[in-house]
Amino acid sequence: MRSDERKTTMLDRTRTLPALLLILPSLALSIWIIGYPIYDVVYTSLHEVNRFGRVRDFAGLTNFAKLFADPIFIASLWRTVLWTATVVGGAILLSIPIAVMLNEDFYGRGIARVIVMLPWAISLAMTAIVWRWSLNGQYGMINATLFQLGILDGPVEWLASFDTAFPIEIAIGILVSIPFTATVLLGGLSSIPADVYEAATIDGATGWQRFRYMTLPLMKPFLQIAIVLNVINVFNSFPIIWVLTQGEPANSTDILVTYLYKLAFRYGRLDTAAAMSLIMFAILLVFTAAYIVLARRSEEKGA
Amino acid sequence: MSQKLKRSILFWLVLGPFAVVALFPYAVMLSTALKPGDEIFVFPPTWLPTRLAFENFVEMWSATGFGTALINSLLIATAGTLLSLLVAIPAAYALARLRWHGQGLYRQFLLVAQMLSPIVLVIGIFRLMAAMGLVDNQWALVLAYAAFNLAFATWMMSSYFRTIPKEIEEAAWIDGATRMQSLVRVFLPLALPALAVTGIFTFINCWNEFVLALTILRSNEKYPLTLQIFTLVGGAYKINWHHVMAATFAATVPVAVVFALLQRALVRGLSLGSVK
Repeated sequence: MRSDERKTTMLDRTRTLPALLLILPSLALSIWIIGYPIYDVVYTSLHEVNRFGRVRDFAGLTNFAKLFADPIFIASLWRTVLWTATVVGGAILLSIPIAVMLNEDFYGRGIARVIVMLPWAISLAMTAIVWRWSLNGQYGMINATLFQLGILDGPVEWLASFDTAFPIEIAIGILVSIPFTATVLLGGLSSIPADVYEAATIDGATGWQRFRYMTLPLMKPFLQIAIVLNVINVFNSFPIIWVLTQGEPANSTDILVTYLYKLAFRYGRLDTAAAMSLIMFAILLVFTAAYIVLARRSEEKGA
Repeated sequence: MSQKLKRSILFWLVLGPFAVVALFPYAVMLSTALKPGDEIFVFPPTWLPTRLAFENFVEMWSATGFGTALINSLLIATAGTLLSLLVAIPAAYALARLRWHGQGLYRQFLLVAQMLSPIVLVIGIFRLMAAMGLVDNQWALVLAYAAFNLAFATWMMSSYFRTIPKEIEEAAWIDGATRMQSLVRVFLPLALPALAVTGIFTFINCWNEFVLALTILRSNEKYPLTLQIFTLVGGAYKINWHHVMAATFAATVPVAVVFALLQRALVRGLSLGSVK
């Protein structure tokens, strides 16, 4: 306790008990709906479970061993790395120029902002349904448009093979990640005071130099946070791949989340699926830790 | 040519391709939704229908069970949002206004909770709901949506609450109001914009959720819109795409319009809440 007690008001005193009462409902709901499932997944992953969900014998790490012996799991793991890296990389690379442009004054900026943010308002499942129809090999509008432009001369079944389906899924992933990414970056850009640029312009800096040596370094904390949050979102993203290809043909477009879902609810292998959940949980915790470190660092800078 | 005009032309040249791709799904929805049924499966396909088949929307409404699904979506998302706010408001108040032991720990708990998505825990959630007898029950979704949006809502609102001057509340106490009275009559009205922005984002999240609805609900008459429309393209041998596109159009355009109108306030609110 410091001696400036006379200055403290009722709001400044340490009030642990009332605070605990206030956070109690949120803790209770989280422990019930999020905490218990975590416990259950751990428990299930260490046991043998039949396909009706009845828990049998303690199995140690057998489920994990089975998983790492499963070539589809290993392939899905690598594909998840590819999926996350390309979607997040693409979204960041495209969002930087978009955010920089939206931060400047130009004709139609209001409309441009609405168009850029638009994919955000729609559920991923709906977006994916519309794209699936657009990509239909016989009657889809993608093929129709490419015929009319003379680019294609025969129908292409875009979603029938990995070589076309997965890049398309990545592109759609990038498209729907841009609104959030651009918003975070725009928030960062608008916090850079304009007089910094004016001074640099007077000193003769070109547009590129200003971007490279002023905007980019000042944006660094926002870029880091945008990357980490996007990695978590994209890693967890289920509807795009589920609606477009369900991980098919022959599991070739499965990522961890879609394979997890199949394992649990289609093949009825709850125990192995639980082990897989835990591995994904561990991966997410690493990213979360990275986020906490980055957020704390940028908070310290801001303070 | 003025500087601004030059810049505008350049920017739109760069943004153009992105705008085309972002608007493409709307063009497809509209084109297919307004085509007469017998023009859907014609090769090669065309953008423009021979006549505008507005009757698709009427047919779709009964053929897809749109009304029921719409009401389900509204009920589930509203209940999930209200429960989430109800639980998050006191927690956000404690974070913003009180000093207590364990505050740092609680913040980190919120961060971790925010990172978790339902898909990673889907097995555990399903088994929990099964144990409580809530499989194929919409309340399971309400509880889960409230829990998974809780961290975000608490985080957003506590950032806002901190911007409301403490002196206003203290003045109310001096005037003889109890803590509870000043909270309800003075503080919450001032916090209303924050509640609105947080509520809208939570509502959109609930409205758009897919995995848990897919896992927990079994009977068609309980499905929300996303799931109902997904079911239309899931198993059917012949998909009536003109109905499906009319349904997606009717389901997405209202949300998109609301989002576009509120976009400025929402984006400002989000960047204030999440980045600061």
